[in-house]
Amino acid sequence: MALVRRLVLALVACLFWAAPLGAQAATGAITGKVVDASTQQPLANVEVALAATPHRELSRSDGSFAINGVPAGTYRLRASRIGYGSQIQEVTVTAGGTTTAQVSLAPAAAILEPVVVTGYGTQRREAITGSVSTVSAAAANVGVVTNVDQMIQARAAGVEVTRNNGEPGAGMQILVRGGSSISNTNEPLYVIDGVPIYNQPTEPPSYGVGGTPPLPRNPLNLLNPSDIQSITVLKDASATAIYGSRAANGVILVETKKAAVSGGPTIEYDSYVAASSPAKRLDLVTAGEYRTFVTAQVGSWRADSTGFSTRHPPTDTIFTKHFADSSNAFAGLVPSHLTALGTANTDWADAISRTAVTHNHDLSFAGGSEDTRYRASLNYMKQQGVTISNGLERIQGRLSATHKALDNRMRLGVNVTTSRVNNQYIVFENRGGFEGGVFQNAAVYNPTQPVTVTDALGTHYYEVPGSQSLRNPVALANQITDLGQTTRTLANGTAEIDLVPGLTGQVTVGLDYAGGGRQIYFPNANPLGGTLGGGLARVYSQDNNTKTVQTLLTFRRQVGESHSFDMVGGYEYSEFKKTLAMGQGIGYVTDVTLYNSLGSGNTLKDSSYGELSKLVSFLSRANYGFKDRFFVTGVLRYDGSSKFAEGHKWALFPGLSASWHLTQGGVVRGPFSDLRLRVGWGRQGNPGIKPYTSLQKLEGGSNASYPWSDVPQPGVIPTSVANPDLKWEQTNQYDVGVDFGLFGQRLAGSVEYYVKNTSDLLLEVPVPPPQPAATRIENVGKLRNRGVELSLDALLVSRPGMTWRTGLVFAVERNKVLDLGPHQFIRSGIVSGQGQSDQWAERIMPGFALGTFYGPVFLDVDPVTGFQVFACTAATAGCLNGRTTTRGVPDAADYHVIGNANPDFTIGLHNQLNWGKFNISFLLRASVGQDVFNNTALVYSTKSNALQDKNFLRPALSDNTDVHEPAIFSSRFVERASFLRLQNLTVEYALDLPFLTNSARSARLYMAADNLFVLTGYSGLDPEVSSLNASDATDAGLAARGIDYLTYPRPRTFTGGLRVSF
Amino acid sequence: MKRLFVKTSIGAVGLVTLLLVPLQGCTDLSETPISSITPSNFFHTEREVTAALAGVYAGLRNTAGEGEYWGVSEVSTDEMVVPTRGSDWFDNGTWLELHRQTWSANSPSTLSFLNNAWNTAYAGIARANVLVTALGGVTVNNQAQLEGEARYLRAFYYYLLLDLFGGVPIATTTEIKRWPRQTRDSTFKFIEGELLAIRSNLPTSYGAANVGRVTRSAVDALLANMYLNARVYKSEGPGAGGINATGYNSCSGMTVGGGLGACQAAINRVDSIIASGVYQLADTFTQNFSSDNGSSPENIFVIKYADADGLGFNMVMRTLHYNQFNPSPWNGFATLAQTYNAFDPADKRRNMFLVGPQVNLETGLPAQDRAHNPLVFTTTIANVTSATEGEGARIYKWPIDPKHVAQNNGNDFAWFRLAEMYLIKAEALNEITPGSAGALDTLNRVRARTAPVAAALAGPITRDLILNERLFELNSEGKRRQDLIRHGKYTLAWEFKTGPTGDFRVLMPIPQTQIDANPLITQNPGY
Repeated sequence: MALVRRLVLALVACLFWAAPLGAQAATGAITGKVVDASTQQPLANVEVALAATPHRELSRSDGSFAINGVPAGTYRLRASRIGYGSQIQEVTVTAGGTTTAQVSLAPAAAILEPVVVTGYGTQRREAITGSVSTVSAAAANVGVVTNVDQMIQARAAGVEVTRNNGEPGAGMQILVRGGSSISNTNEPLYVIDGVPIYNQPTEPPSYGVGGTPPLPRNPLNLLNPSDIQSITVLKDASATAIYGSRAANGVILVETKKAAVSGGPTIEYDSYVAASSPAKRLDLVTAGEYRTFVTAQVGSWRADSTGFSTRHPPTDTIFTKHFADSSNAFAGLVPSHLTALGTANTDWADAISRTAVTHNHDLSFAGGSEDTRYRASLNYMKQQGVTISNGLERIQGRLSATHKALDNRMRLGVNVTTSRVNNQYIVFENRGGFEGGVFQNAAVYNPTQPVTVTDALGTHYYEVPGSQSLRNPVALANQITDLGQTTRTLANGTAEIDLVPGLTGQVTVGLDYAGGGRQIYFPNANPLGGTLGGGLARVYSQDNNTKTVQTLLTFRRQVGESHSFDMVGGYEYSEFKKTLAMGQGIGYVTDVTLYNSLGSGNTLKDSSYGELSKLVSFLSRANYGFKDRFFVTGVLRYDGSSKFAEGHKWALFPGLSASWHLTQGGVVRGPFSDLRLRVGWGRQGNPGIKPYTSLQKLEGGSNASYPWSDVPQPGVIPTSVANPDLKWEQTNQYDVGVDFGLFGQRLAGSVEYYVKNTSDLLLEVPVPPPQPAATRIENVGKLRNRGVELSLDALLVSRPGMTWRTGLVFAVERNKVLDLGPHQFIRSGIVSGQGQSDQWAERIMPGFALGTFYGPVFLDVDPVTGFQVFACTAATAGCLNGRTTTRGVPDAADYHVIGNANPDFTIGLHNQLNWGKFNISFLLRASVGQDVFNNTALVYSTKSNALQDKNFLRPALSDNTDVHEPAIFSSRFVERASFLRLQNLTVEYALDLPFLTNSARSARLYMAADNLFVLTGYSGLDPEVSSLNASDATDAGLAARGIDYLTYPRPRTFTGGLRVSF
Repeated sequence: MKRLFVKTSIGAVGLVTLLLVPLQGCTDLSETPISSITPSNFFHTEREVTAALAGVYAGLRNTAGEGEYWGVSEVSTDEMVVPTRGSDWFDNGTWLELHRQTWSANSPSTLSFLNNAWNTAYAGIARANVLVTALGGVTVNNQAQLEGEARYLRAFYYYLLLDLFGGVPIATTTEIKRWPRQTRDSTFKFIEGELLAIRSNLPTSYGAANVGRVTRSAVDALLANMYLNARVYKSEGPGAGGINATGYNSCSGMTVGGGLGACQAAINRVDSIIASGVYQLADTFTQNFSSDNGSSPENIFVIKYADADGLGFNMVMRTLHYNQFNPSPWNGFATLAQTYNAFDPADKRRNMFLVGPQVNLETGLPAQDRAHNPLVFTTTIANVTSATEGEGARIYKWPIDPKHVAQNNGNDFAWFRLAEMYLIKAEALNEITPGSAGALDTLNRVRARTAPVAAALAGPITRDLILNERLFELNSEGKRRQDLIRHGKYTLAWEFKTGPTGDFRVLMPIPQTQIDANPLITQNPGY
């Protein structure tokens, strides 16, 4: 702690040495007008500032501006606006005089805010020395966007955003510059309006059936995308080091819209309606094909049955006696499979799908006086899923207000967002086994059977008689109740005061309260509910509660013409608490009460859980600029987290970076309008482990209790192994970048190269015996990520009536496990499906990337036996000429690396074309070279499903694999999954109807299409699969990438909407 | 100016105060779990200590799991096979690898099942170590007995490890460190020493409320078993580690604690159990396995199961057909035709298998397979890599519990019962005096219950006769691997397995993951 005290002292001293003593002088004024250089139209909201002074004003709607009270002298006047290149000109102010300045701004290729939120403050874009990507919220909020994550997709180089699936409001997997952790979380840190949030699931878990429950939905669904002003992604360590311990996976800064800075009150209304349907459905064998297939297989059985006696010795009396009923052992299918054929023709994939409707309404208004301003907004959204019986509804309100006091020396701000998200879920499988949910049953349910039947009992869902693991998927979706809700309030209040010129103090208090509930009922009416004990009800309640206090001192000072200082120092404290309670009842006489009468169940069970963690930080950043030519930024953060072992709770996270503007001072001329070199280094941490990980815990529960004399005796067992050495996972990152602008910023971009070395990985590893738990988290191993990122923006056309901007982001990322300590490899990527227990698709091995597929090498199918043939060596029994000759896989020694789930490169291309009253934009995304393990095909394109009267995928009909051949994981199911997707296409039209425009400032009509097409060679539903296959998203589990198992289909969506502002 | 200065000062003071208040209060980062306990705030009362002891017992449930000691000891022998049925039970080839004995230190069945067996045993040991360590710092009623039970269970977990892997790292404290591997002889001596040390702390029997806890006879039963296997457990040497993989490993000529011959020591332990008067053979064979078998007078050391969530026995799930029980069983484990046929049809113990037309065991109605044929179990399995739903005789030694909760049945599983003790005594007597009439009489005690299972054997008694009797009596009770190794027959050929598979296979490979975690552990020879 002595170090901390010294740090704080040094910081305070450092902040005060340069305290200025300004002298007052006679003043003058500057007035002028800003216009668009290409159209000559006046430009509003242009920031006009005098460099090295606090004087800054915004241009009004007619483009005019006035800066008063400027001391006499010569200044550099800088005019900047989003979407335009900034312009600097010299002006001279005389005492008592008014100087006129005419400014003409040229449109720039990139729509960039001139001031960037960089964490604990803002910086001018020019002064940034780290790697920072900004996303314009206005451009990204197109089509049906339910959360922030979708807005980043393909718009920031090196940020890979993958939706878990096509479920409304589905969670996202985000990798900033590749995942740097193996068993720790790879999720970036989200900071909303300056307050870091714990992005944990806010809703209690589901009840898994025959596999693990689906992944939780995105906790960021609470934010209305229309309320977002800007998104900044901090990528390299020098930029993220200010967030220290939580920054190893990058930082996403979200700024919400604030009260209008100028102009009168405004009202905006935005509404859209969208229709979605699954972009692709499982290609199932149809009822007709299934009947033909079964009939043909029965034919093979009849032909083969003549050879019966040679295979079964007559001594087997039992068998002989019941031959007529039981002889399943021949080729093909037993004749009785014919009796399982029904007369219906059902496409189960179709039966569970629908055209889903989404509608969204946003209303916001803003206004206020010079000193007090407000913005309020209200959002309602209802989104149906493209699979029946599920969806998302959001009601959200937001209020933000600012107040200036003490002659603008004190500024107060409040932001409150409250939202209620109602989720309706269906039972589906994230990863599965023997039984499954809606999608597994849609894949295997007999297509010759109907959805409903009408008999003496009335009309009801058809169910296979006596079957206990095959269930009508439509009935599963419609009869089982699974509801979740989150009521979440994000509130923060800020007080900022100018202590002396240049020195500002700030206190921010942030509260994040999320109350989550879940209600589940499996009714008697559904056979699954019957199997679970005659109706099963569960009710959960969860509270996530975060408190954050921040105090900051910011110092900005220009010394002379050449030296600028920008420093921030502060302290932050946050506390996160989660509690969860569950009640369960089994055995209900009636389904009428659903989950509302737990107590009337036959057997009751309940549980509760709580956890608490704290993070304390001291932080500082200093930026020094020399003549706008050289910039140096140093960052120091000292973090303490309660989650680590005693004596290892604190760690220091430094960062250092510099940039050199070659175009300033005339070092470089020619076509370059801007050229900058950046270098940076920093260290970050990753504390994404659960609290109490370093301690030995004892727990009760059914695992610990034991019945003496058949009476359960409550027990207690050690459930974890203490690790008194548990410390931070640390990432050292190096970054080199070039930012450039050509032809007066009509072409601008940046190229970056980075190396990320992560050491002391928090890895779940086996513990030497005797150990109460097989594994514990240890700091073991090293991982390296390297990559190149390119982003390019071009203003292709700029003439009156038409502008066309295009932007490209391109990223190459390579990761490699360098060291796993004593471990040769760690298995990951568990394979799902019947007969796949203990099968792992991937290995984490030194020298290989995360997401390396490992298994037998498939050669072909033997046309005679119908066996799958694998590559082998002499060591495998029955290996002939390098080919297996018996059914099954070769020895484990003949397993090889059979794929890599990481793409060679990814590309995002966005375009925006303004043409007269039309505004057209589209976004293309491509990912090239990655492999995906098609777990769905492995399990469901095997004809042996027919042995249990189950359907399968159509491609299996045309291959010659034997009907008795099991589903065997091999390179056969690892596919190349490069793709090109048209993510969004939007056409907007400005209405010029007199009755509207008389009262409305603008009225715009738009049409959008999301996910219009995907070009890919991948045979599954969608080549883009969630990068993590974790059973529990609160514990990211081992890194497994590129596994596709019965995912919720992604929708194709068409949207029509109207935006009006008054 | 002055007013401004005052305002500024007030602002600055306020801000500095705000800065400092949290600084003082909020840098305390010590951690105390809010919904679980730590050893430092536990183990104060007898109730707390007893709860921890229940936790050590609870570890026993895993030992009889399908992918655990029980599964390894059965599926790697001629008693059981898990055929691949379509895609079902392929499971990365693990089950057939286990049956065919083609495992290696890194192969799927080792990384799954042997790793489970290792972790389960050591988790039990660790639980006991935590408790025994805590008992060193607290005084409660019944302390000696509670400690004795914990140490017995710890010894039993070490015994499972010794049986599968040979000598293993031994630790009796909670310290996490890399302990070196012990020899088999010193592992044996450690277990024996522990058992002898705590025997007198344990009661000979318990009152009605505590049935299922460890008794003095449980100590004797474990010792008798170890003494019979003394040559396997204590030998050292190259190849199969001094074990005769192809010939009988006799207790004769081995010396155990107290300088006694191992055979005689085994007999003494069995006699001591009989002399306690607490145990006798159950009237019927089936009484030992039924859902109310807690009252069986024959079971000496059992895993107590209860028909409650998470506390039950799920053997029926492993073997029964999908449509024979609710919840739907897994239709997996079956016995070999050669094993089924080895039973005398007149031997009532053969009824432990289900063959022929089947019923739903809860409703009693005829069961159908998935193709809606009447469900019939055959004794033969035509092709083990593509078996059908009905192939293979099913093990139904432990019938369903009518009061089952989901898959939790209340049948107890006996690791040691009196019948085995008689068979141990018979085998030891036969080793001291081959062909001894006393040995035959002892063996025949097992067949002659109040309701005899089979006619008395006429003799002469041989080792093979004893091994067969163990097959009939103890089938599916997790003893077969141990018996075959003692009799030098573990690596031979049987149905769906070609042999011999190599002498070294009498010791299981230590899973590579465990060697990675503790590089001081050396691998068994041959792997």
